[in-house]
Amino acid sequence: MLTRTAGAVVAAGAAATAGYLLHDPIGDAGLPRPSDATRRLKDFFTGIELPAGTPRISVATGEESAIEQMVRTAIGRLDPDLGLRRFVTRGDVVLIKPNAGFDRAPHLGATTHPDVIRALVRMCLEAGAASVIITDNPIEAPEACFARSGIKRAAEETGAKLVLPEQRRFETVVVRDNEPAADRGEALGRWSMLYAPLREATKVIGVAPIKDHNLCGGSMNLKNWYGLLGGRRNQFHQAIHHIISDLGWMISPTLVVADGTRVMMRNGPTGGRISDVKPGGEVGRPTVVAAVDPVACDAWCYRHLLGRDPAKLAYLGMAARKIAAETAAGSKRLGEADWQAYQRRGQVATANV
Amino acid sequence: MSSKPDKLEPGFFHHSPLNLLRITSVRVLVQTVSFAMFLAFVYLATYAQLNEHPGLRLWVSKILEIDPLVSLATALTTHTVYQGLLWSLIIVIPTLLLGRFFCGWICPFGAMHQFTHWLLGGYRRKERIEANQYRPLFAFKYYLLTALLVAAIFGSLQIGLLDPICLLYRSFTGGVMPAVSVPLPQLFGDRLFNQGAWLVGGLLFLFLALNLVIPRFFCRALCPLGALLGVLSRFGWWRIERDRGKCDSCNLCSLNCEAACDPHKDLRRSECFVCYNCIEDCPCGALSFKFLPPREHEIAAPDVSRRKVVFAAAAGLAFPPLTRTTGRTTRDFSSTVVRPPGTVEELEFLERCLKCAQCIRACPTGVLQPAWFEAGLEGLWTPVMNFRIGHCQLNCTACGQVCPTGAIQRLTLERKLGVGQFSQQGPIKLGTAHFDTGRCLPYSKNTPCVVCEEVCPTSPKAIFTERQMRTVREGRLQVRAATENTLAVVLWPRAGRAIGEPVSWAAGRFSGDETTTYHVQINHPDAAPETHRVTGNDAATLAIEGRFLKPPAAGTLAVLKMEYKVPLVDTELCIGCGLCERECPVVGDRRAVYVTAEGETRSHLHEDRDRDRSLRLLKRG
Repeated sequence: MLTRTAGAVVAAGAAATAGYLLHDPIGDAGLPRPSDATRRLKDFFTGIELPAGTPRISVATGEESAIEQMVRTAIGRLDPDLGLRRFVTRGDVVLIKPNAGFDRAPHLGATTHPDVIRALVRMCLEAGAASVIITDNPIEAPEACFARSGIKRAAEETGAKLVLPEQRRFETVVVRDNEPAADRGEALGRWSMLYAPLREATKVIGVAPIKDHNLCGGSMNLKNWYGLLGGRRNQFHQAIHHIISDLGWMISPTLVVADGTRVMMRNGPTGGRISDVKPGGEVGRPTVVAAVDPVACDAWCYRHLLGRDPAKLAYLGMAARKIAAETAAGSKRLGEADWQAYQRRGQVATANV
Repeated sequence: MSSKPDKLEPGFFHHSPLNLLRITSVRVLVQTVSFAMFLAFVYLATYAQLNEHPGLRLWVSKILEIDPLVSLATALTTHTVYQGLLWSLIIVIPTLLLGRFFCGWICPFGAMHQFTHWLLGGYRRKERIEANQYRPLFAFKYYLLTALLVAAIFGSLQIGLLDPICLLYRSFTGGVMPAVSVPLPQLFGDRLFNQGAWLVGGLLFLFLALNLVIPRFFCRALCPLGALLGVLSRFGWWRIERDRGKCDSCNLCSLNCEAACDPHKDLRRSECFVCYNCIEDCPCGALSFKFLPPREHEIAAPDVSRRKVVFAAAAGLAFPPLTRTTGRTTRDFSSTVVRPPGTVEELEFLERCLKCAQCIRACPTGVLQPAWFEAGLEGLWTPVMNFRIGHCQLNCTACGQVCPTGAIQRLTLERKLGVGQFSQQGPIKLGTAHFDTGRCLPYSKNTPCVVCEEVCPTSPKAIFTERQMRTVREGRLQVRAATENTLAVVLWPRAGRAIGEPVSWAAGRFSGDETTTYHVQINHPDAAPETHRVTGNDAATLAIEGRFLKPPAAGTLAVLKMEYKVPLVDTELCIGCGLCERECPVVGDRRAVYVTAEGETRSHLHEDRDRDRSLRLLKRG
């Protein structure tokens, strides 16, 4: 009798306690809320002190057989004493974000040239990086794109870790707290992003090929960050300048490298014909540009490699305005649409390799 | 039952799996290795971009190629033995000599049944002996085999539905592995969607559950491959023979008999799996695997009723015409049935496709999915494309590389893309893309978009754009004042009023960009209309490029138009890869651009097929 009563009382007590603790009076306690997403992107440029007078855009021109030399020269001249070590220090985890968006061989200029990747990875490891990650989220099948573009082999040969865009690596990231306002040129609020490598990385380097783009005019460094987005990202094409300027504002990279070795002059971004590609674009010889200001870098490349007027490229100005709001609030990142301002200050360096 | 207690209970070690000297232990090991290899082959098919891994070529499809039923049935339908199917001889020849050792030692599905029964079937001794008796029901698999082979003779390959290797392969690639990928995506990669997984996975569980009723029920009563091997066992040189002198009729041989082949009576040769359990269980040592045993003590042929065989043959004979007359494979074809690149003509395809789902597994984008009945009854579980899930990757030929029967031919990349020596023929087309202009954003939703053109992978692009002009909403305006290159406007007055209502635009709304530009057309009352591009605007004024030829007078009608790009398909260039449909931002059952099977190159040989005819129509103009 006693044991039965005791058993009954304990069971009743447990049921009542569980019911009380789990009680949901309103009805939405267990439901996920948008505000639950708390992940934000780090500022990958913080802590980098650029000495006065050093170039902000560094151009190296050469032959296609000397791409590694060009990359080393371009980055080296950003800081004549330290070179890449100004940006990448011992123990850093460096994320290199190339464009592996298409199932095309490297000579077609639709993806980042693998030799540029090789050079960068080697330089990062020489500067003491703990590891180097390479990732992208292509439209087409990822394994095929990384393989055919030669980027997979470049990663394997140099000891970088290739991270494929598997679903489990995507997470919702808070780009802005408010819903994006189209009339202010905003596109992103909270969005699914290839977040796992971004979380792991302490430094981010974007490496974009310079290409014509049928919708927005030019696919360069700012457009390159599109490859970090997940979800139904194709809907942004209806306001392409909104999204590209948002991409340029949302991520503050350590540095960017523009791959002008084989410039796609027409039929971008997919291309597919050798006749669309011109080594070095309007410069005439293969070119690599390293820069700490992604917006100015894009403007310079639009003018010199694609031969077009950056004042007509709407997303540059929009990105610059968004970044200016941050600079006014104290951020040290750079985002000027006017590359000539750097020229006037003697901060554009050119070299022949 | 005898009553010799010491002989009924052999020592523990004797029956322990640790005793590797026992042939049954070796057999269990071989079954385990065979199952593991099966899993490895299923896994390997995922990496079948064999231009990248040429060494894998030897191994992929091997498990299907050694299946004799596959070889026989496809030989009956196509009158050929496709490439690797010759390997099935390594099963056929030993079976002719040894009997159904494949069922007992190699078949992975058989191993699963055996394992399931061992795990779940907890019979007592008497029940187990009873469960392992031969039943006349087991003759059903021979009737099934007859029906399937007769259907094959008349052009319909349906063995893939019940052949154990095809069935198990399909259940794993389409059911088990996707299900495992849901909680553990890192194991098998990012294959996100598998249509009909519940059905193939569920059927697998159903077949395995039958082991609770009768052990290895599928193998004994349903398996057509087992039936074929049973027929081939008839003239073997070896079989399990019971020495009547030593036997004391204890029936312990039936305790673990896998095949219910009655070793305690006259052995049914066509059923015996050569599992060796009876030989080792016999306390008197009366059973042995004997070379050239006497004919009197066996039932050599399958125990089937001739009348039922004839009926089964009639059913098999009736099947192909009954299904073909529906017209689903010819005139009444479903244009949603888009087949993989390299697939042969539909009628030949139905003679070859095993529904093994290897191509579905190998496809890197997941566009290949098992069909339901869109391609007719015979099309169940055959591969069709679902462009909401994936697209056909331009430089990929994985599906043809793994197909064991040539339903999808092995293509070189040159042949698929129509380059080099194939430039005259052109690329292989899976179908054609069409625009649903009622859903397409530029056509009917007043929104610029050319994602389809951007992602179209052909060179030159099959999707191209054309500029069209449309009046902006509330774009009929009345000039209030004008300078040489600006225009102050109000809305065109409504009926009965002299002056229109004011406008209040956001600044820069009509500046335009690379894809969309705005133009204003001035309809002079006494001169020809002139149109100029708008470069900008503020609340109620438009600025134009250049200057007006004739200054617009107050009260003139000015129409504000938007020039934007609309997408079009060049049907000569479109290969039907479906990347446009995959990426179209108008999501939903029907995308604004979608691919159908019209214009597929594989149908060009058969003139009576409307598929080809509609391509000729599309080509005109």
